[in-house]
Amino acid sequence: SRLAEGTPRRSIHLSNIVEQRVFKEDEVISTPKRGRPSKKTIQDSDEDYSPKKSVQKTPTRPRRSSTTTKPAATPSKGIATTTAAPMTPSQKMKKIRAGELSPSMQQRTDRPAKDASKSELQLAREQLHVSVVPKSLPCREREFENIYAFLEGKIQDQCGGCMYVSGVPGTGKTATVTGVIRTLQRMANQNELPTFEFLEINGMRLTEPRQAYVQIYKQLTGKTVSWEQAHSLLEKRFTTPAPRRVTTVLLVDELDILCNRRQDVVYNLLDWPTKSAAKLVVVTIANTMDLPERLLMGKVTSRLGLTRLTYQPYSHKQLQEIVTARLGGSEAFKGEAVQLVARKVAAVSGDARRALDICRRATEIADTALVKCVTMLHVQQALAEMIASAKVQAIKNCSRLEQIFLQAVAAEVTRTGVEETTFMGVYLQVETIAAFMGVTTPPPGRALRVCAKLGAERLIISEHSRNDLFQKILLNVSADDIHYALRVGDVAN
Amino acid sequence: MESICSSMEKLFPCREAAIGILGELIGDSKEAYPSAIYLFGHSGTGKTALTRAFLKECGRKQNVRTAHLNAIECYTTKIMLEILLDSLAPGQGDALKADNMLDFVEQLHQWHGAPGAESQGFLIAVDNAERLRDMDANVLPVLLRLQQLTSLNLCVILLSQLPFEKFYNKTGLSEVISLHLAQYNKAETQRILGSDFAQVRSQLLEQFAQDTKRLEICQEAVTEEFYNNYLNLFLSVFYKACRDVPELQLTARKCLSIYLEPVLDGTVEATDISRLWRHIAGPLRSALTQIYMRIEKPPEETEDFAAIEDQSVRKLAQSLELPYYAKFLLIAAFLASHNAANQDKRLFVKHHGKQRKRMQMVNARAKTTEKMSTTLGPKSFSIDRLLAIFYAILEEKVGLTCNLLSQISTLVHLKLLSFVSGEQNIMDGSARLQCTIGLEFVMQIGKVVGFNVRQYLCDFM
Repeated sequence: SRLAEGTPRRSIHLSNIVEQRVFKEDEVISTPKRGRPSKKTIQDSDEDYSPKKSVQKTPTRPRRSSTTTKPAATPSKGIATTTAAPMTPSQKMKKIRAGELSPSMQQRTDRPAKDASKSELQLAREQLHVSVVPKSLPCREREFENIYAFLEGKIQDQCGGCMYVSGVPGTGKTATVTGVIRTLQRMANQNELPTFEFLEINGMRLTEPRQAYVQIYKQLTGKTVSWEQAHSLLEKRFTTPAPRRVTTVLLVDELDILCNRRQDVVYNLLDWPTKSAAKLVVVTIANTMDLPERLLMGKVTSRLGLTRLTYQPYSHKQLQEIVTARLGGSEAFKGEAVQLVARKVAAVSGDARRALDICRRATEIADTALVKCVTMLHVQQALAEMIASAKVQAIKNCSRLEQIFLQAVAAEVTRTGVEETTFMGVYLQVETIAAFMGVTTPPPGRALRVCAKLGAERLIISEHSRNDLFQKILLNVSADDIHYALRVGDVAN
Repeated sequence: MESICSSMEKLFPCREAAIGILGELIGDSKEAYPSAIYLFGHSGTGKTALTRAFLKECGRKQNVRTAHLNAIECYTTKIMLEILLDSLAPGQGDALKADNMLDFVEQLHQWHGAPGAESQGFLIAVDNAERLRDMDANVLPVLLRLQQLTSLNLCVILLSQLPFEKFYNKTGLSEVISLHLAQYNKAETQRILGSDFAQVRSQLLEQFAQDTKRLEICQEAVTEEFYNNYLNLFLSVFYKACRDVPELQLTARKCLSIYLEPVLDGTVEATDISRLWRHIAGPLRSALTQIYMRIEKPPEETEDFAAIEDQSVRKLAQSLELPYYAKFLLIAAFLASHNAANQDKRLFVKHHGKQRKRMQMVNARAKTTEKMSTTLGPKSFSIDRLLAIFYAILEEKVGLTCNLLSQISTLVHLKLLSFVSGEQNIMDGSARLQCTIGLEFVMQIGKVVGFNVRQYLCDFM
């Protein structure tokens, strides 16, 4: 069946092995097992593959042993029999590119703590972590239904199609889509649905839009090839009809990153579903609702179709529900505390991640206060930390000279009426204010240093100090903030 | 530290304070260095020489590795890093490689904790540090905190003519110790110039080794006091115009032989300062006009220096061999640059009719009299206007051949004319040119071809 893909025979061999090896234990999101050769044939192919590799290697060996040191070259003989033997870096890279080595991470030396030893606040904190996606997302049932119906229909009908999902960050777009895919995969495993392959790319994880081809091909076969090669192989796969071709669902996250000036990658990704041979279903996710009309070319928008879904930001009730669902039956949070978080976040962005992060910060504050339950006060403190601006504090903690300089910038803005001031005008104001306050005026060199420091702290926006007296200065804080910070501070002192 | 300072003080008179401070800061490699020192002062105050000698002395007497580089050479960061690595880690040869700042810092960091590295110091001096501002944005911030990043006992010395307040960037810099090398005052300058008396004397004696009579006079007359008197006279003329010690040293050597001439001839006593002064005053003043020019000419030839400025322009104008029409083109370009376009009709059209004088114009003229266009600088003109003026002043009708047009482009090549704008579209007439030569020069050319330029300049009407 893989012959239709048009890849050379040897690589087909290889790719089968790779998938078995790499994705053996990956049960959640991967291509389902199809009519594969049994374990024994894999072993066979593995064995007959490795000598082949070593045969292919031999001509290169003399050259390498002449350039590199002896001990590095000698173990290459051992490769043929055991993969555990040490490899030269180029052998290792070859294996990595062929997908034969799965990337693993270092294990920690001590074991993670048991759940039984954790306090209720700790458990709540773990539950509130953004990465712990619940099995069924609360408040997104309608969207789930929508996507589920679309994808199920496309899989059942064995045709291709596109869908565009949009919404501001943190409204559960990717979580719902992957949730739908997981449900569909479970159904496919129980033979209630035709099997399908699931591929996933994220525009933000690519250095370049064309790397999307490489990633897609890598998820199909496990091999890393150049993008030109990957593109032609994918083109061949999706355009030539093959019997028993299964449906492929491709999830494209962060679609707007894939849009370059030529838009060839986006066009290809949306053009393949229109081919009858492809059976490709593309679900695209982005933040802006009007992206197809604003950024994409006419032919691309036309292929994207009109099946769209917009995620509204969560209301405060929904956020409350989400947090309470995360907490489960735990008593770690007061009801009104959750409500306060929900109301504050829903008023700003409706971002669920933000609500969860604030709740986590509130648990940490409660932890340091040695309280078992998170109250309104802790939440208020967490909100102040995560929402409140630190600018007034920064101005209050400036040195005397810096405060005078900030006042002078504000005074110069008021005097001239325009936002942009030059250093010369500001320095004249500094002289005036310093004379008024009875302190000695700093020389311009020192004032430039003060200016550069404030500019580095982003309290003002200044240029490089090489054009000293003529550099332009903008006030980055509001003039009221300066007066508030300095006046209230005076009263307190 | 004391040994370094004392050996340095012999080499650099009048810099005891600066050497003392440098010695306190980076004199001892067993003590922690400051992370950065910024040394600034005018040109010729001895920044480079002082640092170079200090680094050399440190490298010889202590366990210190030094690097001295010039930021002008480093047109990419990689060059700078490899020069630094090369001099800080001698004996690496071709294996040395630093692609970026991270590589460089990593390699330096590896030396930290090496055996015997406890008392090891590293000193980096960067000359012309103002160029660091134009390099990649991370160069200056990293250099200023290289000690912290590499955890070595390392100090970066930056040398520049600017104060440090010209270096602050938008993202902030770490602290740096500024050290100012002030210019020498008159007494210090005289002391420095007089410090090479022994050398000058031996040189003179060597010069007159054949001539026994002169040698005798020279031996007798050239004393320390005589030399100091000469320097006093020399500085009384020169110190107002120039305080650059190397420049003064060069000129003082040149003028000494003229000063010595009457003494050696036996016409003037070596102690008769007022007569010597009368003798030397002329040549000194003429040499003053030649300062910073570094013309290797014996000073005797340039004694009649009063007209030298005029002469050089005349000589240049006469030596510049241009074709006849090219000279007229150049004159036309000068006229186009220095006359307003609205005066062209009056100046160059034969029967332009009567010009009306209006009160308004007379008033406007009266206001702008002080703004002569020859002093304000040239204005731009189009090639059409240049050719029109050329035909108006030439009086013989030559064909507009390609030779004539190619002469315009040759004049541009010779930098007698220059493009102001529209260099890409010369042919469609939107290119604008400017004449870059001065009035004197064009007057000379006019004299050669027999054309009175002044007559056609609005300024002189």
